[in-house]
Amino acid sequence: MSLHALGTDAPGQLVILSGNEAIARGALEAGLGYAASYPGSPSSEVLGSLGALARAGGFYAEWSTNEKVAMEGAAAASFAGVRAMTVMKADGLNVALDALTSLAYSGTKGGMVVVVSDDPGAHSSTKEEDTRYLVRACHLPLLEPATVEEAKEMTRWAFDLSEAVGLPVVLRSVTRISHARGSVTLGALRPAPRTARYDLNDRFITTSLFHQVLHQRIGQTRARFEQAPFNSCEGPAAAPRLVIAAGPSFTYAREAVRLLGLGEEVRVLKLGTTWPLPEDFLGAHLKGAREVLFLEEIEPFLETEVKSYWAQHAAELGPVTFLGKASGHVAGAGAPGVGELTPEIALRAVGALAGREFEPRSEAFARKVDRLPLHDLPPRALAFCPGCPHRASFWAIKAALELDGRQGVVLGDIGCYTLGAMQTGYFTLKTVHAMGSGVGLASGFGKLDLLGFTQPVVAVVGDSTFYHSVIPALVNARYNDAPVLVVVLDNSTTAMTGHQPHPGTGRHATGDLAPALPIEAIARGLGVPTEVQDPLRVDETVESVYRLLKTDGAKLLILRSPCVLLPSVKRLRRAAVDPARCIGEACGCGRFCNRAFSCPALVWDRALERARVDDVLCSGCGVCVDLCPRQAIAFQELASCSR
Amino acid sequence: MGRRGPSELQTQVLAADLCTACGACLGHCPYLKSLGERVAFIHPCPRSEGRCFDVCPRTSLDPESLDRQVLGAPRRHPILGGYDGLYFARARDADVGARGQYGGVTTALVLLALESGMAGAALLTSGTPTREPRAVVARDRDTVLAAAGTKYSACPTLEPLAGLLRESSEPVAVVGRPCQVAAARKVEAREASGRLAPVIGIFCFWALTPAFYRFLEGRRDLERATKLDLPKDGGMTFAVNGRTATVRLDEIRPFIRPACQACFDPTAEWADVSVGSTEHDAAWNTLVVRTARGRDLVERARAAGALEVKPYPLERIPVLEEAVQRKKLRVLDALDAGQPEVAYLGLREAQRAAVRAHGRA
Repeated sequence: MSLHALGTDAPGQLVILSGNEAIARGALEAGLGYAASYPGSPSSEVLGSLGALARAGGFYAEWSTNEKVAMEGAAAASFAGVRAMTVMKADGLNVALDALTSLAYSGTKGGMVVVVSDDPGAHSSTKEEDTRYLVRACHLPLLEPATVEEAKEMTRWAFDLSEAVGLPVVLRSVTRISHARGSVTLGALRPAPRTARYDLNDRFITTSLFHQVLHQRIGQTRARFEQAPFNSCEGPAAAPRLVIAAGPSFTYAREAVRLLGLGEEVRVLKLGTTWPLPEDFLGAHLKGAREVLFLEEIEPFLETEVKSYWAQHAAELGPVTFLGKASGHVAGAGAPGVGELTPEIALRAVGALAGREFEPRSEAFARKVDRLPLHDLPPRALAFCPGCPHRASFWAIKAALELDGRQGVVLGDIGCYTLGAMQTGYFTLKTVHAMGSGVGLASGFGKLDLLGFTQPVVAVVGDSTFYHSVIPALVNARYNDAPVLVVVLDNSTTAMTGHQPHPGTGRHATGDLAPALPIEAIARGLGVPTEVQDPLRVDETVESVYRLLKTDGAKLLILRSPCVLLPSVKRLRRAAVDPARCIGEACGCGRFCNRAFSCPALVWDRALERARVDDVLCSGCGVCVDLCPRQAIAFQELASCSR
Repeated sequence: MGRRGPSELQTQVLAADLCTACGACLGHCPYLKSLGERVAFIHPCPRSEGRCFDVCPRTSLDPESLDRQVLGAPRRHPILGGYDGLYFARARDADVGARGQYGGVTTALVLLALESGMAGAALLTSGTPTREPRAVVARDRDTVLAAAGTKYSACPTLEPLAGLLRESSEPVAVVGRPCQVAAARKVEAREASGRLAPVIGIFCFWALTPAFYRFLEGRRDLERATKLDLPKDGGMTFAVNGRTATVRLDEIRPFIRPACQACFDPTAEWADVSVGSTEHDAAWNTLVVRTARGRDLVERARAAGALEVKPYPLERIPVLEEAVQRKKLRVLDALDAGQPEVAYLGLREAQRAAVRAHGRA
């Protein structure tokens, strides 16, 4: 991360930034005063960067407990006349939606920008969600940057727009902007204000009386969108073939036209302000178009909006053939709207529009590819890191449930530990939904005893998840006396998204010390019996889980052990297999360490025909030392050194 | 017979709720674990055959084959099994007698086995009668004494046996319930010939599940009991603070381990000696001497002044036989009805007839 470039006051300098950094920079150039976020890929680096710069930059940046609180914090700053930003991934917008729909009614004051980063192809998400529908449902201005540079420009512009129309403005990014890198020309930094104040003449009340006002503001937005610098059209003015693209799909469209040599045949309309549609601008460029191809992510949002516009103006515009995801002309391997739109898909679609067949690879290259032994590559499942305490936790939970013998159900949640639904977690988790859903479901399952349910219920949640949305569900379980065991896998960080701090870690986004709010104090304060256990001590953990499964009511078991990737975790020892004690297949254990327990650091040495520890990968957690039935694995102390 | 293993153990015994928690399958592999007197595969085992199936007393039990292995001859008695002598016995040592449930005979014999060098270690069940017991490997007097007294639930005492047999060559004394005695004999036949000396069986008509201990935790008047008993006049008694509280057997029955209904061997017919209550005089035990080793042990104990022995009262033998026969008849009825939980028992028609016919003129 080029923090230096990000914070440097050198207007005109050309730097390389990621999309998320560019968004952060845009906010700084707009005089940002307040930023709040909850980590979520691909959006996390926005607040990550701002947090690192906050102290020097004289503005406020925080990792909030969840996206709704983050949204509300930013709204507060806005109400006090300060420019504010809140950042989240698509799932986070779902969490914050009640607040955002309310803000659309109450209006805002200081510019407020909501950055949402979607994940086409779901590279790092459980869902492949197109939040543009939600922004439209909120009736809020929607911007989609097509390049990294544009992400910066749009962000800065969004603050001005927000203040002009009195609404939060949503900047919708995607993975190929947020996590791409591009050259960016820096603008001048603007200092954060020192004039935060709530004018008592202002009122920000959500009431249905303002539904009409909201529509008026959207009308004003539309007028500004007609003049926005982010919409353009290139190519021959009279061409009947038109590509309408938004986001990075625009760059794919442009590239496709160039590669196919269609510069004289196909027009490309770029939309950067995608809702409300700049209808006059759109109408002007739709004239004369006979075939219109839509390239966008994720769903056929623009395709449907434009078709709706056309339906309204069909008499003037005449017949048009619309080609896109909804019509089935633009699709990846899955159904329309499923999977990421790649440059290759764009090439084929644009080629088809112009009646050109395009082969992205030459025949010679294709033959080379076919000769590669790609089919011999073993499929690699996602796996917990060597030494990850979650592996030990799931091993213990599974063992305890087998010993309990009542077919207990384990409900999962969002985090690294979501992998507990896969082989690396022994397929322990049976459900995965939203943040905190595991305990919500558990609370429900726990009350089915009235209806004949006899299976024990276990919910597995992470430490960050606990603060995010488990607490209300835990209150519900306690309040309704649901017999559920909530297991908190506390690895002292928000790991999956990049080790951001949370209320339990004792650090702020700026790196400053924070008061730690221990999970056990919260749970005990609710009257929920709570125990803390080291998951790496597997036998003890099995006994704890087994014992707790037989108790009544809601109870909490914190399995606390730090994430092995944290810099504070020093590797002081590692495991090693004694080749004299390990007798390989003759043991009869079925390669228990590497096949059943399945830590990536445990390998089968084909030459020695014994198990072996990969001493580069091993983190020294010691669980395999306890599990080997012949005690053939032992510790080796290392000279103290960090990883 | 094709070799069978973990998969069959799971379907035939564990999933069928027939496991008696003897512990014989444990201590050998990382897949089988025990907690709360339940045995389970904590991870699927990939083997198609296995020791676990072979040593389990509930995968198959062939009384005739065991008679030959242990006694060297067909059994003398269709109800009480093979035996060489039937006695009332009690420990002479006051300490031992005080610690014992009745006459302290088991403890006295174990002490003698260790002291005489017949065994290097003894596999016993230790704990207080109101909490889940644990297996203990005893090598000294204090540990043996601490393990005295009846435990009413099914402790998987045999769990350490595999390790003991592996790690040294000394003979191991085993004190167990009849299912544990049968399992020990299957272990002996498979891999430990001559290593188990002596095998002392405890009379057992049923064991309770650990839910019984949770029941006691809810009964403040009972949870501190120092001694439990099932006297012949009914109920379960609890000695608390010098007083005796009684709980009706109906309250205890719900905690009976279901697998015990399928048991055919309440007197541990394949032990070297079997020890039980007299149901007549709490100061004495019933002692059944079965094998030559058992005879040797008892004689040594008498000679050393550790044990007092007198003949079993003739008039009480039918009482003992009737109680045992009743349990066997229930199983025979289940066998005749083709119920799967008793299918493990390889009992030929001739044996079944002999059991039914005994005591009827």
